[in-house]
Amino acid sequence: MNRLCDSMEPKVMDDDMLKLAVGEQGPQEEAGQLAKQEGILFKDVLSLQLDFRNILRIDNLWQFENLRKLQLDNNIIEKIEGLENLTHLVWLDLSFNNIETIEGLDTLVNLEDLSLFNNRISKIDSLDALVKLQVLSLGNNQIDNMMNIVYLRRFQCLRTLSLSGNPISEAEDYKMFICAYLPDLVYLDFRRIDDHTKELAEAKHQYSIDELKHRENLMQVRLQDERARQEELEKHKTAFVEHLNGSFLFDSMYAEDSEGNKLSYLPGVSELLEAYKDKFVIICMNIFEYGLKQQEKRKIELDTFSECVHEAIQENQEQGKRKIAQFEEKHLSSLSAIREESELPNIEKMILECSADVSELFNELMMLEMQLVEQLEETINMFERNIVDMVGLFIENVQSLMAQCRDLENHHHEKLLEISISTLEKIVKGDLDEDLPDAPASLFVDKDTIVNAVGASHDIHLLKIDNREDELVTRINSWCTRLVDKIHKDEIMRNRKRVKEINQYIDHMQSELDNLEYSDILD
Amino acid sequence: MEVLREKVEEEEEAEREEAAKRAEWARTEKMMRPVEVRKEETTLTQEMLRDLEKKLSEIQIPISAELPAFTKDTIDISKLPVSYKTNTPKEEHLLQVADNFSRQYSHLCPDRVPLFLHPLNECEVPKFVSTTLRPTLMPYPELYNWDSCAQFVSDFLTMVPLPDPLKPPSHLYSSTTVLNYQKGNCFDFSTMLCSMLIGSGYDAYCVNGYGSLDLCHMDLTREVCPLTVKPKETVQKEEKVLPKKYTIRPPRDLCSRFEQEQEVKKQQEIRAQEKKQLREEEERLMEAEKAKPDALHGLRVHSWVLVLSGKREVPENFFIDAFTGHSYSTQDERFLGIESLWNHKNYWINMQDCWNCCKDLIFDLGDPVRWEYMLLGTDKSQLSLTEEDDSGINDEDDVENLVSLSSSRTEGMCVKASGSLTSVPSSVCVALAWLQQMSIGPTGTNILEIKEWYQNREDMLELKHINKTTDLKIDYFKPGHPQALRVHSYKSMQPEMDRVIEFYETARVDGLIKREETARTMTEYYQGRPDFLSYRHANFRPRVKKLALSSAESNPRPIVKITEQFFRNPAKPAEEDVAERVFLLAEERIQLRYHCRDDHITASKREFLRRTEVDSKGNKIIMTPDMCISFEVEPMEHTKKLLYQYEAMMHLKREEKLSRHQVWESELEVLEILKLREEEEAAHTLTISIYDTKRNEKSKEYREAMERVMHEEHLRQVETQLDYLAPFLAQLPPGEKLTRWQAVRLKDECLSDFKQRLINKANLIQARFEKETQELQKKQQWYQENQVTLTPEDEDLYLSYCSQAMFRIRILEQRLNRHKELAPLKYLALEEKLYKDPRLGELQKIFA
Repeated sequence: MNRLCDSMEPKVMDDDMLKLAVGEQGPQEEAGQLAKQEGILFKDVLSLQLDFRNILRIDNLWQFENLRKLQLDNNIIEKIEGLENLTHLVWLDLSFNNIETIEGLDTLVNLEDLSLFNNRISKIDSLDALVKLQVLSLGNNQIDNMMNIVYLRRFQCLRTLSLSGNPISEAEDYKMFICAYLPDLVYLDFRRIDDHTKELAEAKHQYSIDELKHRENLMQVRLQDERARQEELEKHKTAFVEHLNGSFLFDSMYAEDSEGNKLSYLPGVSELLEAYKDKFVIICMNIFEYGLKQQEKRKIELDTFSECVHEAIQENQEQGKRKIAQFEEKHLSSLSAIREESELPNIEKMILECSADVSELFNELMMLEMQLVEQLEETINMFERNIVDMVGLFIENVQSLMAQCRDLENHHHEKLLEISISTLEKIVKGDLDEDLPDAPASLFVDKDTIVNAVGASHDIHLLKIDNREDELVTRINSWCTRLVDKIHKDEIMRNRKRVKEINQYIDHMQSELDNLEYSDILD
Repeated sequence: MEVLREKVEEEEEAEREEAAKRAEWARTEKMMRPVEVRKEETTLTQEMLRDLEKKLSEIQIPISAELPAFTKDTIDISKLPVSYKTNTPKEEHLLQVADNFSRQYSHLCPDRVPLFLHPLNECEVPKFVSTTLRPTLMPYPELYNWDSCAQFVSDFLTMVPLPDPLKPPSHLYSSTTVLNYQKGNCFDFSTMLCSMLIGSGYDAYCVNGYGSLDLCHMDLTREVCPLTVKPKETVQKEEKVLPKKYTIRPPRDLCSRFEQEQEVKKQQEIRAQEKKQLREEEERLMEAEKAKPDALHGLRVHSWVLVLSGKREVPENFFIDAFTGHSYSTQDERFLGIESLWNHKNYWINMQDCWNCCKDLIFDLGDPVRWEYMLLGTDKSQLSLTEEDDSGINDEDDVENLVSLSSSRTEGMCVKASGSLTSVPSSVCVALAWLQQMSIGPTGTNILEIKEWYQNREDMLELKHINKTTDLKIDYFKPGHPQALRVHSYKSMQPEMDRVIEFYETARVDGLIKREETARTMTEYYQGRPDFLSYRHANFRPRVKKLALSSAESNPRPIVKITEQFFRNPAKPAEEDVAERVFLLAEERIQLRYHCRDDHITASKREFLRRTEVDSKGNKIIMTPDMCISFEVEPMEHTKKLLYQYEAMMHLKREEKLSRHQVWESELEVLEILKLREEEEAAHTLTISIYDTKRNEKSKEYREAMERVMHEEHLRQVETQLDYLAPFLAQLPPGEKLTRWQAVRLKDECLSDFKQRLINKANLIQARFEKETQELQKKQQWYQENQVTLTPEDEDLYLSYCSQAMFRIRILEQRLNRHKELAPLKYLALEEKLYKDPRLGELQKIFA
């Protein structure tokens, strides 16, 4: 990598340099004069060429937000940096530089063409973000491991690749390997891959490719499963009944309950626990199903509501558009009449008429809008009432089901206490049939201990149930309030926007009319 | 059927008078002719013209002036089969039976008209009517149902009125003759239709009866034209959308309900008034159109077809009028009575009273009280079975035979689809069918509109609709016109006039649907274009006369204004997506209107003034803020920039040029279309289906070529299958199995023969080769000797000879070599073949 201009001083990418480049590459001739007159903002620049400038460090590019094409070739850049803001970049040329690692490209999601020709890169990586990559040029680098090719399999749009001049291109299997591992590739090292080569390559590497594919497929399937599960959970969460379709709650009750676990070793408790669990899970399932059903209902309600509101707004807009169209037709004809009219008093009269028309239009449009606001308010209030009612009913029912859970727990608690005390008595009497394991045995010291232990377990369980219930209630309530707030806010925003729009339009019309007046007077 | 003799006489007199009148008209017509001739010769003054017009308007052209040209003199009977000219003994017998029956009938019912039993045929031979019916099933699937059969008969034959409207005809021609001449009276029509219907399985009968005047004269003026009856548009009931739960309440209606009611009442009154007027008008029209009472009502003889229910899933008895092909209910009051009816097996006489037309008739042919049959024991005997006596049964076979045998005399009707185009029956193979529809206005004579239908035209013209009142012509095309035309409506074929051309937009690259033209404007509608253009409207100014007439170059009309509209391009944001742009070319102004965003009611607008001026210092002003006036719904920063505006304007200028060009191109295209249409109209060539092997020349040639090739191939195969053993086997006694010795000898002989052949051939080639070489050598020698004295021509000759000889020698050499190479192979092949030959099986055994 001999640099012709080794002797030259590295230059800094400063504002002046960029301005100069933008000016040079900007519009030419008449448009150029205009551009000079006005100055070009960096964020309007779409393409920038900065080659052969001895740049050492990429810098100061953050203003070029809308840049599509950037050429930084034939410089002495050593590190890819400072490109984070150029998210619209499609074309990036960094060839003939001194780059050693690929980095700093993680935000360039729109990049399609990347050239890193003639650098010092030895490994292909850090390109994961470039999902749209089509052309990748990595020739004349120091890539020496064939496995780098496998990395490129993830780019589904990649069609053109150049790797000549790398150590790997010396390998005899080079072309076949690439063709086999990148079957969608069309051009390799500036040449079209013919079908024959493709077939040959495929045949040659079939075994390893198949294995690779199999692994990739497995990964894919796992990912999909994961995603499906996530979605399912997400759905349950929107219904506020996640994890209630099974023994999750029950298990969590016992997860932190050491005493309870210890007590489960007592004779007769395991059966009791089993029965208890079954009943508990059934109630949980009930809650779950009820929740889903209610969620469905709420969704339908919301959909109908938004549909109706949308329809109403559309209808209103149509009316508005019609009014404006009518007005414009009339306005145009009267304007042309004014232009043709020669007598001043007549003109004035006509202009007056016109402005009357404008204000009439304003009134009409505003009336339409006010009407809509009133109608929507009524509808929104109705919806609010209904949705709040629904949520209330849901909470009430869930609470009653939860109360059943609590009853079960109480019942279980009593039974457990009974068994515990009787066991204690037996232990005290010494006529216990079998030896207890150490863990529960430590509890059976005296009555207080055992009662406390059982009570603590009971408290933990109740706490868990209460927590779950509270969570559900708070979340659904907050959802409800947020929804209603959002609807109100949206409506207010809509109203403001419309009023602004109307005013703007009317102002424009009025000012146009005023201009006409002035020009007439001038004439 | 009550017949009043006196009345008949009266009517006959009236008829005669009418005929006299007709003759008079004809005379006047003849007289008119010289006048017309004179008109051509001399220039007429206005007065004369007016006079002529008056005279002409006085003349009424009689509707049925031409009388039957279809008389027996015109019929060529020489080609008809013998059965047409003579009667078989059985037929004679049948005729005798019929005569007997007729005598008995006239004796029993003296007040009824004589029966129509055995009219003469075209060869002046009396034939029983049932034998004239010949059930025929046409080989065309289109002619399988009664409606298409009736339509065919009515289309194919030309109606000729009865010579005497009050009597059945004296002659009844066979369907063969009728088909050949394509003319016939009502009896011919119904006989033919009946034959076809019975052939395709209907229970059909020929009816001899009485019809109304309209029916007998095939006068359809009082019928509603079926072509003007527009298909009733099925009004789809809008499903009333149930108000949803959250549908907004409509704003309160603040109008007075009382006032509304009053208004509605007033409207209703006005409407009622209008309706009344309309009805009165209609009634008046109806009155005017109503037929004058027919003096011969109930006496006009007519023949039609009766189809009885039962067979072919016919649910109800009905009549078919063979003239028009229309079906009528048996209750129809135009059918005034039935005298008798027959099918191919029997003959029935109506014994019921027809005072109330045919409304009360009961068509139970098995009921001998109502229907007197002539022959016993045909299948129509629901009732008569019980009443049959023995003698009848004896007769039965006889009768069956009589009818069935004699009926063979009518040759099967055969409608040929082949032959030249012109002689093809219209319904079967419509080559160039056109049908005119005339809606006759209240005055009775002026044509309101004409519709012409076409088929198989190369220019894909399907229907031509000419409206006589507005003079508007509309052509409809099927897909496939070279210019993708669909509808073309115009008043004149001159360019730059009012016209609308619709296209099949999918067949066009530019997606044009419709182009409307008036004298000053042209409007085009597009669909499915990548640039989303939907509409282009151009306004023209009248042509300015060029001072210097610059050759024959086209002088396009100057364009004043072009308006273009675009569909919404979903890829662009609404505020950058132009909805409409107007190029005001005269004012150098460009107006843009953008699409409206979904949640907005106003759209951005922009107006460019393309003025190029020079400022005070003499510099050209490129762009100033007042050159672009814009209203933006949501003001944006970058659009305020002059650069942006400048670029937009430059772009628009380019677009303007393109649009102008497009408009001119469209004009040129219209010219081209008009030219093409004129050429097509002049040529009107027909397309011939590739499946039509008889008429498609190309396919015919191809088929013939294929056949020839096949034939040759076949010949070649026969040749190759020549038996190589035949000459040798012939020496041996035939039929015997070969002994081993014989087989071996045969084989050897065959092989040696073949060897000799090969050697001979080789020798032949060798000899020719040597001969050629020698000749060449001789020639060369001669050339060497005379080289000096030769003229250039001789030398040329010699050289050309040499090259040809060399060529021949080379070829011979090649052939010889090839022969040498192949000969052993061929020899081996023959040996192998002989070895495998089944006839020399003996050989195999030895080697086996």
